[in-house]
Amino acid sequence: MSRAEVLDGPGAGLPVAAPAPVAFARLLRSELRLVLGRRRNLVLLAGLALVPVVIGTVLLVTRDSALSGQGPAFLAQVTGNGLFLVVAALFLCLPFLLPLCIGIASGDAVAGEASAGTLRYLLVVPVPRTRLLLVKALAALTFAAAAVLAVAVTGLLVGAAFFGVQDVVLLSGSTVPVGEGVVRVAGIVAYVGLSLTGLVAVGLFFSTLTEVPVGAMAATVVVAVVSTVLDSLPQLSAIHPGLLTHHWFDFAEFLRVQVDWGVVGSGLAVQAAWVAVFGSLAWARFTTADVTS
Amino acid sequence: MADNETPRRTLSARGRWAVPGVVAVAVAAAVGVPALASADSAGPPDVTPAELLTRVAEAEPTPVQGTVVYTARLGLPELPAEMTGADPLNLLGGSSTLRVWSDGAERSRVSLLGATSEYSVVHHGPEAWTYSSTDDAVTHYTLDPEDVARYRALAERVEAAPSAGADLPTPADAAAQVLAHAEEDADVTVDRPTTVAGRDAYQLVVSPTDDATLVSRVVVAVDAETAQPLRVQAWSTSDGEAPSLEVGFTDVAFTAPDASVLDFSAPAGATTEEVVVPLPEVPADVAAGTVPDDPAGALPEGVAVTGSGWSTVVTLSDVDVAGLVGGDAASLATVPGAERVLGSEEAQDLVQQFVPSDSDGTPGKPSLDTTALYDQLTTEVPEGRLLSSTLLSVLITDDGRVLVGSVPADALRAAA
Repeated sequence: MSRAEVLDGPGAGLPVAAPAPVAFARLLRSELRLVLGRRRNLVLLAGLALVPVVIGTVLLVTRDSALSGQGPAFLAQVTGNGLFLVVAALFLCLPFLLPLCIGIASGDAVAGEASAGTLRYLLVVPVPRTRLLLVKALAALTFAAAAVLAVAVTGLLVGAAFFGVQDVVLLSGSTVPVGEGVVRVAGIVAYVGLSLTGLVAVGLFFSTLTEVPVGAMAATVVVAVVSTVLDSLPQLSAIHPGLLTHHWFDFAEFLRVQVDWGVVGSGLAVQAAWVAVFGSLAWARFTTADVTS
Repeated sequence: MADNETPRRTLSARGRWAVPGVVAVAVAAAVGVPALASADSAGPPDVTPAELLTRVAEAEPTPVQGTVVYTARLGLPELPAEMTGADPLNLLGGSSTLRVWSDGAERSRVSLLGATSEYSVVHHGPEAWTYSSTDDAVTHYTLDPEDVARYRALAERVEAAPSAGADLPTPADAAAQVLAHAEEDADVTVDRPTTVAGRDAYQLVVSPTDDATLVSRVVVAVDAETAQPLRVQAWSTSDGEAPSLEVGFTDVAFTAPDASVLDFSAPAGATTEEVVVPLPEVPADVAAGTVPDDPAGALPEGVAVTGSGWSTVVTLSDVDVAGLVGGDAASLATVPGAERVLGSEEAQDLVQQFVPSDSDGTPGKPSLDTTALYDQLTTEVPEGRLLSSTLLSVLITDDGRVLVGSVPADALRAAA
């Protein structure tokens, strides 16, 4: 127990400790390299990037057939304007694929080290546990951002290549120039990315609870799925506004004639609340836990 | 344990676990405090119903923008679940969010919001557009040129009226008239002030004295500052818990909206349908400013009215309901008074919305199987089919009569 508990502050027995910010930056860099270089994570990102490619190809092949114009929201607009491929791909990935990838990455953050037996060595590094957790959280958030960007960037490239980019027709029927359209779609991408921060915090907390990474990953995905299920029960409408997934699709706000920042703000505030609660839970757990593996 | 980790002041393990608790409490407080804060405002000074109506009558039309939530608890059967887009049919049940912009005069926009869709109605004086993002379709309503001229003349007359209005009733007189008329069948009172969309509001309560009606009371919340209505609730006698119909602002600002919001031009690639709406002939007595004493005299053939006040039942005879429901345009001619135009442009819009138009030979495609919808909403009774809701009952008899009234279904069946 006490062997691995060299915690806050420069480790007593260690010879030369770099100044804290430098050590932190170094730790963050190596962690990012680890997370973004891990083959499993690269496969996940590639899989996500494949989604807009598949959608774009299907739409390109069927554009003149009777099947065109069918399907879920935003799909019908894609053939007219490649920018909508970004929106359609995010819309299709948001309910399950993105939470799954994020659950895998954030659930693995601490539990992965514990199961590989590397966590105790990591704790020997003269970096406080709080900062270590912060590094883990930043790496998980970076992966979440990379996941959203993988969908968005390939969506934009494939959409522009297959269908071109035109003025954007909003849900309200107004048409805005390409420049503003790109800004609005960028707003959607940013909103979707920030909407996933709550789930990252939940995954990080589960990851500190267990040494079995699969358990933390599954639990994280289950939280997202259960939240979606609860959100679909009208009897529970009283708790809907606070649910993790309730505001995810409010990104459509960016496609209305006047963006209601109150709606966007409340969606982000709910995520901030989940981040605060589960982030502090993860911190309390990680800084008090006995690490034996 | 972990509490001896540094020379610096640190929290014990228990102290650390208290942090998430504190955070959770802070989050709960952030959610709960605004609700508490709005609960204990002093409220506006008391008014009588007559004073309140006078202020409403005096109020100038004012620009407004805000969010409106509409909730219907009509007790109708559930509609098919796949209707998730923004569709006016959603207004039959459940809760819908609308966004409203108006410049207080001729231009306005109302958007019915779906999760990833929107149904917009843009109104510019004699013109109106609807746009549905789900099927990317525009409908453009216009008056024909002669009617536009008449519309302009009418609008000018209305604008000129206040300056020339020595013989027009003052707002106080008008309010007294409305109040006297309403009090024939109902008690009109002012309930204690409330808060709607964060603004102090008076509540005007109209409770029908008639026991035969389904309406228990209608409550209108009027903004204390601008005298604009902020919320309307209709309560049914069958549900004392929640209003059967409620439409009100959740967020409102009495400021002029952006011109760009009120503009509309059909997006490229959208299917556009042109509809010319005939302007109703204004009867001479209405144009002269007097209201006809006997409204029943103006009824078209085939329409009968029984009862009075809130429990009035309207009977339409010889209606080909099955044909109408099936989308057969010819059967529209069987509706009594269909050749006439409905009293308001909005009502006309609604009819045009749901009734296929054959003006250009292409019947509008129904967004949903209307026959299935009809079967779902109505129930079989010995007299025919019955649509029964908490505020309104409709009985369609097998011999082609349609009885409508804000009375219990049994009363309609007895009348049939």
